[in-house]
Amino acid sequence: MASALELSGIQKSFGDFRALDDACLTVEYGEVHALLGENGAGKSSLMNVAAGLYSPDAGSIRVAGNLCRFSGPREATQHGIGMIHQNFKLVKRFSATENVLLANPRGAFRSGKKAIEREIREKAQALGFVLDPSRRVDSLSIAEQQRVEIIKALVAGARILILDEPTAVLTEGEANRLLATVREIAERGAAVILVTHKLRDVKAYAHRVTVMRGGKTVTTLDAQNATAEELTTLTVGSNIVTPSRSAKPAGEARLIVTGLASGSIEGHTPLLDATFAVRSGEIYGIAGVGGNGQTELAAALVGGRPPSAGTVEIREPGAQALTDVTGATPRERRDHGVAAVPADRQAFGLASSLSIADNFGIGFVHQGRFGSPAWVDHARMARAAQQAVAEFEVQGVRSLWQRAGLLSGGNAQKLILARELSRMPSIIVAHSPTRGLDVRACAAVQRRLLIARDQGAAVVLISEDLDEVLSIADRVGVMTRGRIVAEFDAPADRQAVGRAMVDHA
Amino acid sequence: MRERNAAVPSLPVADVLSVGDGRRLSLPRFVLEVRLDMPAWKQAVAIGCSIVVGMLISAVILIVAGVPASDLISELASSIFDAQSFHAVLVQAAPLILVGIAASLGFRARFWNLGLEGQMVWGGIAATAVSIYHVGPESLRLPVMALAAIVAGMFWVAIPAFLKLRFSVNEIIATLLLNYVATYVLYDLLYGAWKDPSDAYPHSAQYAGAERLPDIGFINSALPLAVVFALVVWWLAEFSRFGFYLKFIYANTAMARLVGVPIRNVVLTAVLISGGLAALGGFVISTGSTGRLTQGFFEGYGFSGVLIAFLARNNAASAAVVAALVAMLFVTGQTFQIFYQIPFSMVQMIQAIIVMCVAASEFFIRHRLRLQR
Repeated sequence: MASALELSGIQKSFGDFRALDDACLTVEYGEVHALLGENGAGKSSLMNVAAGLYSPDAGSIRVAGNLCRFSGPREATQHGIGMIHQNFKLVKRFSATENVLLANPRGAFRSGKKAIEREIREKAQALGFVLDPSRRVDSLSIAEQQRVEIIKALVAGARILILDEPTAVLTEGEANRLLATVREIAERGAAVILVTHKLRDVKAYAHRVTVMRGGKTVTTLDAQNATAEELTTLTVGSNIVTPSRSAKPAGEARLIVTGLASGSIEGHTPLLDATFAVRSGEIYGIAGVGGNGQTELAAALVGGRPPSAGTVEIREPGAQALTDVTGATPRERRDHGVAAVPADRQAFGLASSLSIADNFGIGFVHQGRFGSPAWVDHARMARAAQQAVAEFEVQGVRSLWQRAGLLSGGNAQKLILARELSRMPSIIVAHSPTRGLDVRACAAVQRRLLIARDQGAAVVLISEDLDEVLSIADRVGVMTRGRIVAEFDAPADRQAVGRAMVDHA
Repeated sequence: MRERNAAVPSLPVADVLSVGDGRRLSLPRFVLEVRLDMPAWKQAVAIGCSIVVGMLISAVILIVAGVPASDLISELASSIFDAQSFHAVLVQAAPLILVGIAASLGFRARFWNLGLEGQMVWGGIAATAVSIYHVGPESLRLPVMALAAIVAGMFWVAIPAFLKLRFSVNEIIATLLLNYVATYVLYDLLYGAWKDPSDAYPHSAQYAGAERLPDIGFINSALPLAVVFALVVWWLAEFSRFGFYLKFIYANTAMARLVGVPIRNVVLTAVLISGGLAALGGFVISTGSTGRLTQGFFEGYGFSGVLIAFLARNNAASAAVVAALVAMLFVTGQTFQIFYQIPFSMVQMIQAIIVMCVAASEFFIRHRLRLQR
């Protein structure tokens, strides 16, 4: 029997950048095939080739043994290839049914809608999905939207299903549920390609795994027999030292948050009551399942949105009195030594159409570090940016005047850290600073936070990654339904923290 | 067919391929690719080519409308080489430069100021009020008129700016509608209180000699005034800290706010300057060419200002150059109007065609067409 999908010798360049270099991948029907690699390893590019979004510069695509060439995603769909992208391709104002119908026209609108709705219900039932197809997509949770995407692909007749980082946006429970379903789809005869950089997903749910590095496919292994160390070494190319805690006593309280409350931002739980204090030289981790008020807390701390109740007070180094910054603007907070590392890097971290040097310099111009109000000294800014880029190991910088948007996720985050941390802030508010980053970039970001901590900063680390919080935070607060419900000193017991995350009703 | 759409495939594998079509594989075809980056000079070439294409399309339309092909080029050339026409171009350029930089500064703050004409009208009204009521000594009359015009324009744009910042009212609608309000205020004055007593026409009485922008040699002082303002705005937007803030507000306002850019102050300043510059455009027309407040002095400038800012990519220095070219188009258009009975709205149509061509060139700047065999 021919393989479901056979990609061989695939090459793809964007300008001077070679995204794919002789990449090969063979996937069989009936298996979950993981595609593992760091950010920028070429996983998504290779899958975009398979799904007909990119046309390769060289190489061949075979579907079930037959040579194919796709002029667009529609042709790939006709060959039974369906891709579920990391950013869902759904019309938010349409219902789930209408979205599926849009991708799979079925004759007249009214009768087609009925037919599609029936198909959706059948498939949802077969897969054990709980889903009301008549609801508008923007009223569905992320996990439900993903289910709509999967059903959309299956209704289109997909027998080769590609999922690009499907678990990145899900909670642990949702992710496990999804992967179990995906495995079932494969066991019923489809081929599933799971693009991921999470070893745990690979070990638990994949049959085979292909590792990519630097645009090349390194090797394909049996997922069950491969060890985690082996896979890490293959993806990264070398071993990574995980950061460890240093036992240095914390100093005086720098950030005091009392009874903070704020209305909901993205339709999540509003922030109801957050009370905690963070001392100089410690990392205060805030653990919790996403959407429990973390976004609102971060916004209230950095000045993105004024809180509806409660206070935020800070004590600057050397000062006796507390400064109330509850209603202060982001600028005022910065002047008091607060640094912000936002969760959504694209929306709040960088201006991607502007240069790297500008994105670094904007954090300092108002202090007059780069020239007077009449003249911004770009040369001096570039020198400082050069130094910071080197110090914070931002890679992929061909020129300081290149657009910041060309940086990969990890390097973009390092650039943000370079801007925020190189001015020695006394308080750092970092929200999901390693989300979506690969192992190496994660380690680098965490190391930076630890260095800042050791230099005496008070760090608030809001993260949905429990492992991260447990490994680098000195104290852990658990956030559930808009409240800090429990606090643990490090080393915190994983079970106890996990219980606090779900227990409080 | 029904089977193929089943959630879980149960058919033999080969069936998936029933759609496969081997013959088409060998045909060459165009593939569209997204470009990551394009050097500035290539972008300039792309835009230059698109302007040429736009002019060619316009030429075809003009020929069809009855302008002999040979006259087309000679008329355009004479706007530079004929002394009288060239003078007209220079006179025309001054207000166009001012509205062009006004629009570009507003756009840089992501404030879509479509109220340039309304602000021009208020500039003219304020300047004329100073003239009518003899405000200040005669030696200072012109600067006072200019100042009054700027203040009036700022006031007029402050209304939509306030509505936007305070109540999130869409400034495109607000500025556009306020144009009509300004226009009817102007009509009310010209048909009523300010009507020239010496004739019955709806325009104000002529300004006194000291209230008119003097000629400096061949040109009227309006042009150097406009150029100086263009240079100041250029410096402000490109080199000052204010301009640096504006870049970030334009690129990502939410991010700019978080890194401490004082959004409200910067946007408000840019918008007020924008309104003031547009009003100065009205002042320049009244005191530099018409010598009085007339009822249609502002017409067409709002659209042209937006066009100039767009073609110049909101860069004040380029806006001055583009404004000069648009002035050529204006003067040539006036000639066509007189000698070939081509309606002046044809000028606006040509502007629109060029804008569309330049907008289309964006596609080639962002994408690459590649022939794949």
